[in-house]
Amino acid sequence: MSTGSGNTVNIGKSVIIKGELTGSEDLTIEGQVDGKIELRQNILTIGPNGKIKAQVVAKVVIVQGDVHGDITATERVEIRDNGSVDGDVAAPRVAIADGAHFRGSIDMQKQGGGKVAETRAPDAKPAAKDGPSASPPMAAAAH
Amino acid sequence: MSGFFKWGRKAVTEPAAMPPAVTVSDPVVPSKVLPAFLSSVSRQSSPVLLDLGPVVGSNVQLFGDRLACRLHVQDLFEQIRRATDPAAADLVLASLRARLPTEPDSVDGILCWDVFDYLDPLVSHSLAGDLVRLLRPGGVLHGYFATASTPLSTFTRFVVEADDAIRLQAYPGPTTRRRVLSLRDVERMFGGLRLAESVLLRTGSREMLFRRAAASP
Repeated sequence: MSTGSGNTVNIGKSVIIKGELTGSEDLTIEGQVDGKIELRQNILTIGPNGKIKAQVVAKVVIVQGDVHGDITATERVEIRDNGSVDGDVAAPRVAIADGAHFRGSIDMQKQGGGKVAETRAPDAKPAAKDGPSASPPMAAAAH
Repeated sequence: MSGFFKWGRKAVTEPAAMPPAVTVSDPVVPSKVLPAFLSSVSRQSSPVLLDLGPVVGSNVQLFGDRLACRLHVQDLFEQIRRATDPAAADLVLASLRARLPTEPDSVDGILCWDVFDYLDPLVSHSLAGDLVRLLRPGGVLHGYFATASTPLSTFTRFVVEADDAIRLQAYPGPTTRRRVLSLRDVERMFGGLRLAESVLLRTGSREMLFRRAAASP
């Protein structure tokens, strides 16, 4: 892992993580993650080389690579051009670019139900200084 | 219905992340049926929609903002494209069914725009039966059906432009001859639903709205 610009942590494309990945910093994944990713107060970016087979929970999820699994975001999900999601998405806002692939269900039902104007997630709490961490069982291997 | 797209409009606090790519040359066709479809599903709180076509980002955003719905996107065209042997109707049907929700009476609105034009008649009838079972009482199904058997090498992406207008965006598909279902065939296929509206368009398609009878009080 490396720290990119700002407080974003990068997982390089040679890295494979199997297990649960949690943290309180923004994270960009260019590698492969199998398992679960949880960044409840932060932005998760799946880069163009990222391959995710996991249940994903974050404040914002931006998909430029491949995701197989369900995505839950408290603020929004963006599937960019050439991004691919095969799974169910739940978020107040979902943006899907032309050229993106999506298969599954999109749940934009607001809490409490009913047709309401867009709800915004409460402001994120200040992030703790510790970065993303992987909890057992986890195995990381560089290729 | 003219105010449907204004209703519930929120103050935009940030620019849309990814505006839909629109080609000016894509034809925009009027729709007399879409307003009725939207009006019907908007009466439900948190409706459930099923779109059998490819995902269209601007449609997703629109349905989410206006309806706060749950939207199942199945892109059956992708399955049709992958079907290497169109004669293997059973396999095609199985792969299509695997993508559908399973709970009967669970869907408020179904969008099947063009999809039946590319299916074997046996598959069409079976799939239509599945859709009828999925609709809740009072639910509606909006479909486009070809009226001319023209060979095509493209599929069409339907982009909702307004409550009564749809932009047709062609995208590459397998070269195939569209199947033509007569009005009677379509009505038979969706037995159990009532034909609420049927409009013959200049594009050569028939736009139809089927409605399942509401439950008795």
